[in-house]
Amino acid sequence: MASIGQIVEQTPSSEVLSRAQARAALVPDCMVEAKRIANTVIAGWHGRRKRGMGENFWQFRPYAEGESLSRIDWRRSARDDHTYVRDREWEAAHTVWLWADMSPSMMYRSTFAHVSKESRALVLMLALAEILARSGERIGCPGIMEPVSARNAAERLAAAIMHAPLTTGLPETSMIRGQSDIVLIGDFLDDADKVMERIAPLGRRGLRGHVVEIADPAEETFPYAGRTEFTDPETGEKLVSGRAEMIREDYQRAYLARREALGEALRRLGWSFVFHRTDHLASEALAAVHGYLSGMPAQKPGGLQSGGGMP
Amino acid sequence: MMSALAFANPAILFGLIALPIIWWLLRLTPPRPKTEVFPPLRILASVLKREETPSKSPWWLTLLRMLLAAAVILAIADPVMNPRANSLNAGGPLVLVIDNGWATAADWERRVETADLLIDDAESADVPVSIAFTADASHEPVPGTAAAARDKLAAASPKPLVPDRARAAEAVSEAMNGTRPGTLVILSDGMAAAGDNEALSALAALSPTDMRLIEGDGHSAVALTDAVNNAGAMSVTATRLSTSAQQLLTVNALDTQGRALASGVLEFAAGAATATAEIASPFELRNDFARLNIEGLATAGSAHLLDDGFKRRRIALLAGESGSDFQPLLQPLYYISRALQPYADIIQPNTADLSVSIPQILEGNPSAIIMADIGRLPAETYAPLQQWISRGGTLIRFAGPRLAAAPADDPLVPVILRQGERALGGAMSWSEPQSLADFPSFGPFAGMPRAADITVTRQVLAEPTPALAERTWASLADGTPLITEKEVEAGRIVLFHTSAEATWSNLPLSGNFVEMLRRLVQLARAGGAASSGTGTDGAAVTLPPYRLLTADGILTTETGTARPIPIAAGETPVASFDHPPGLYGTEDGFTAVNLLAPKAVIAPFDAAAAGRPVVREGLAGGEAVSLRPALFAAAFALLVLDSLVVLFMNGVFSRIPRGPRPSRGAAAAAIAALAFGLVAFVPGQPLAQEMPPGSGAKPGDEQILERLDTTHLAYVVTGEADVDRLSEQGMEGLSQFLTYRTTLEPGAPVGLDISKDELSFYPIIYWPISANAPMPSQATISRIDAYMRNGGTVLFDTRDQYSALDGGGTTPNGERLQAILANIDIPPLEPTPSDHVLTRSFYLLTNFPGRYTGSPLWVEARQEARNTGAQLSSSGDGVTPLLITGNDFAGAWAIDTQGAPVMPTVPPDEMQREYAYRAGVNIMMYMLTGNYKADQVHVPALLERLGQ
Repeated sequence: MASIGQIVEQTPSSEVLSRAQARAALVPDCMVEAKRIANTVIAGWHGRRKRGMGENFWQFRPYAEGESLSRIDWRRSARDDHTYVRDREWEAAHTVWLWADMSPSMMYRSTFAHVSKESRALVLMLALAEILARSGERIGCPGIMEPVSARNAAERLAAAIMHAPLTTGLPETSMIRGQSDIVLIGDFLDDADKVMERIAPLGRRGLRGHVVEIADPAEETFPYAGRTEFTDPETGEKLVSGRAEMIREDYQRAYLARREALGEALRRLGWSFVFHRTDHLASEALAAVHGYLSGMPAQKPGGLQSGGGMP
Repeated sequence: MMSALAFANPAILFGLIALPIIWWLLRLTPPRPKTEVFPPLRILASVLKREETPSKSPWWLTLLRMLLAAAVILAIADPVMNPRANSLNAGGPLVLVIDNGWATAADWERRVETADLLIDDAESADVPVSIAFTADASHEPVPGTAAAARDKLAAASPKPLVPDRARAAEAVSEAMNGTRPGTLVILSDGMAAAGDNEALSALAALSPTDMRLIEGDGHSAVALTDAVNNAGAMSVTATRLSTSAQQLLTVNALDTQGRALASGVLEFAAGAATATAEIASPFELRNDFARLNIEGLATAGSAHLLDDGFKRRRIALLAGESGSDFQPLLQPLYYISRALQPYADIIQPNTADLSVSIPQILEGNPSAIIMADIGRLPAETYAPLQQWISRGGTLIRFAGPRLAAAPADDPLVPVILRQGERALGGAMSWSEPQSLADFPSFGPFAGMPRAADITVTRQVLAEPTPALAERTWASLADGTPLITEKEVEAGRIVLFHTSAEATWSNLPLSGNFVEMLRRLVQLARAGGAASSGTGTDGAAVTLPPYRLLTADGILTTETGTARPIPIAAGETPVASFDHPPGLYGTEDGFTAVNLLAPKAVIAPFDAAAAGRPVVREGLAGGEAVSLRPALFAAAFALLVLDSLVVLFMNGVFSRIPRGPRPSRGAAAAAIAALAFGLVAFVPGQPLAQEMPPGSGAKPGDEQILERLDTTHLAYVVTGEADVDRLSEQGMEGLSQFLTYRTTLEPGAPVGLDISKDELSFYPIIYWPISANAPMPSQATISRIDAYMRNGGTVLFDTRDQYSALDGGGTTPNGERLQAILANIDIPPLEPTPSDHVLTRSFYLLTNFPGRYTGSPLWVEARQEARNTGAQLSSSGDGVTPLLITGNDFAGAWAIDTQGAPVMPTVPPDEMQREYAYRAGVNIMMYMLTGNYKADQVHVPALLERLGQ
């Protein structure tokens, strides 16, 4: 029988460029998919849900001493004996940094999933870029694209990715300043401690972070049986298990424990953690991440588990 | 010297060269694992560290498989453990003296094989071979080529005889004619025979360079030597050669068809050479025994032939006085017949007239005639009696007052008797009553213990003659003969010198009397006297071979070279070359000639008489052990082990009890199915109980339930349309009347075909008798009988009240009723008495009119009334099984659909119709309530008893 998992693009480890090209070829498709799912999420878009600078009406509130009289809404105030101020929704533009892991392990796709983890990560990143760009946020990608505020930020991000060199691991984040949001998309298969070593400095610098773990169903359920040789796509290490089905439960326990530890550490940091399986709909993860971004944690939609949330 | 291990197919051993290739192939296993890309390998690695993951088979598994392959190759090469050492002395001819007696039949093939090997050796050593068979009649032991010897060997066969080694040795000595044999081999059956010493010394005189004795293990050398018919069982004696171990053998008794009739167990104790088996079976069955056989052995010795000597005898009894039936213990024949009944068929003449009864008896040709106290016979009977005796009859006589008074010239006594009897221990005698002396060593009583408790008070005395002693089979303690005998040609006369009843001695009361008579009867020829014409010359009878025993213990009709055997009276024939064991005679009567004499004992062959060292060897092929089966078995065991190991390594065993998996469900289902199968086959499981209710319903059940629901009036469909219609209308009319007047509301009337329909649903069946209707069959009548026996009642209506009056005789209907009832067990009948329950079960009635009036209603006569004449009524316990009337009830009851009467009453009186209905109501009430109404009569008495 065919093996359960495979590396989607057979890329020689040395030819970084060609893999970048392969990824670039992947991006337009991801862009299309990203726009499609972004539309489904935008349909339920209701602003930032905060009082602030903006054009849309937010609320009426009683006039307080010292406020500018010009802000009084006379039409409303005329209805009774009080004076009201019309608040508008806060529409201050944020900088949101998006980053997706492009390491070889992300190129894994099993027969149980429709797309590779990398594809799903790109789709999520571009879709987020599209959504955020439409709501006027500044979109950046560490090491790839400086934050820009433009309607076509998603396209520009896609173009930047297509031309970006291959990177592995977390990017250089020194250019990130101030109260930015950062969305990290990857498989985070390292130890939770190792991942947190990288992430914790960001959190301590005041960044609001959102971590999306992309997992293949085969990685989670371990559907192997019989004598099986496992290969690590990054290091090329090999492991042979005589009876793969015998270690299924142990593996699942270890795998979930890692995820649990990661989620717990992120929650302590004040970050949100979403994990997503590639056999589920991308929009589920997108809605969850977007919910966190807009300050409203997702209502745990079916099929999506939330590993953590905003305090 | 051959090696201890030889291979039948040594070429196959080159296959062992392939073992390294097999080793290389085995190293390739297990197959390459499936390759899987797995990103979270680090997590997997943390889990997988504990598990050993050999990429190659463990060395011990490889070794196991190598052993398996080697075992298969070696097994195909067929190794044989056969250290047969053989070295012939090439200095002279090989002399083979081969026993082919009866005991060699079982392992003859191996003996031939052994001899063959020796001949092969002789051929390779280029020495001539002399071969002799000890049980053959003729010997040709001239040394010849190996091929000639082989031919002789192939032609030889085991004989059902005891080998005669002396003759063979003599023939060999002659044939060698001074040539010194190189090797002399005695292929012995292991048993000593007469003339062994001479044979051995003759052979040793040839002074062979090398002398060998080859023997089998002798386990089959078991022979039956004797069979004796005892009172309760047949006692079979056997002897055997190897006495070391305990041995249990089964002896079967077969009839002439070869069917086993009975069997006994022959138990040789350790160290014992002889054993005795008891075949317990009824005497009648023992008469059918024709042959005894040791189960599992097929030699002439293991078979023992039986002849007429075992058949049941016919004995005729004659007494001088008829005696009185009221004092049986004083009758002389009483004791004899009681003693002989278990062993013989007893013929007693139906007339006391000896001149009539003796020719009658002789016509039946009995085995023996017993005469108790007969002094003189009618003169004309002497000649035929003597003729019968000379042809083989046995006459047994008992003394008594009449014999004592008989004249001395009686030709039918064995010895000359003195006149008168001798009394011992009488009031006027000095002498004491005499007891018996020891039985002499000859005669039929030899071996019986001395009967110390027998005392003889009177006897007849024999005149002393020189031959008296040898004719005496038993004598008293003072030496006077008590039982004497005389052989008359083929027959015999035996005289008991005392009486057959207990007046002269207490011998008839003793158990020895039974045994003595039995032995005497056994002496008598079963077939009675031979037919006149043969054997009258008194010389030994010569009998032709009839059936002969083969060496395998089978009877054949092929008589071959056997010659007729002369049978001398009282002499057990011995088997020899000319007279091999078998049956001699004709189908009508034959004598068995058995291989071994009754007392024969098999002794081991002793080669010490040779006076020189003799090398002992076993038969060839005994130690030749093929290792092939063992190697194949080992290979198979290794294969099973390897399969188990492979299954274990693949985790089959640990998989079964582990967590949920699809295969587990399947396995569980399989186990469940297996368990169910087991349960289903457990006997006695009442699985059938699970059947849904109603599935056992049969067609017609609804009708039965309907019939049971309400009471129906039933009538017999006679087959005559107008009678049947009238019956139905009558029943309908009575039903309506009952519904109207009583609480009984019958259903629609039912017409019954009494030959088929179930009758038990109806309390009463109305049967209008019609002479024109077909007569019911016997089976139908017996159905009616059963119905009445089971409590039903039949109301017969002959409808002939007035026609009977006319003729004054029996009407056709009455005759038909008589014909029907002729085969039914009917009780006595009487016209309904005035106090019968019928007269008051609902209405008070005095008579029971129908369309006609005047005919009584016949019911079962009451027992009490007849026996005691008591006025107080009431049998009533039980309802009368039949009612007979001639008043045509149905005619009076019949109504049409409008409710109007169909038939006028005779005479036309509507009150009579009313009374007819009332009679019907009373009958129905009587049927349904039984003796309840009769009990009402007792109510005053009961109330009085209760104190009211």
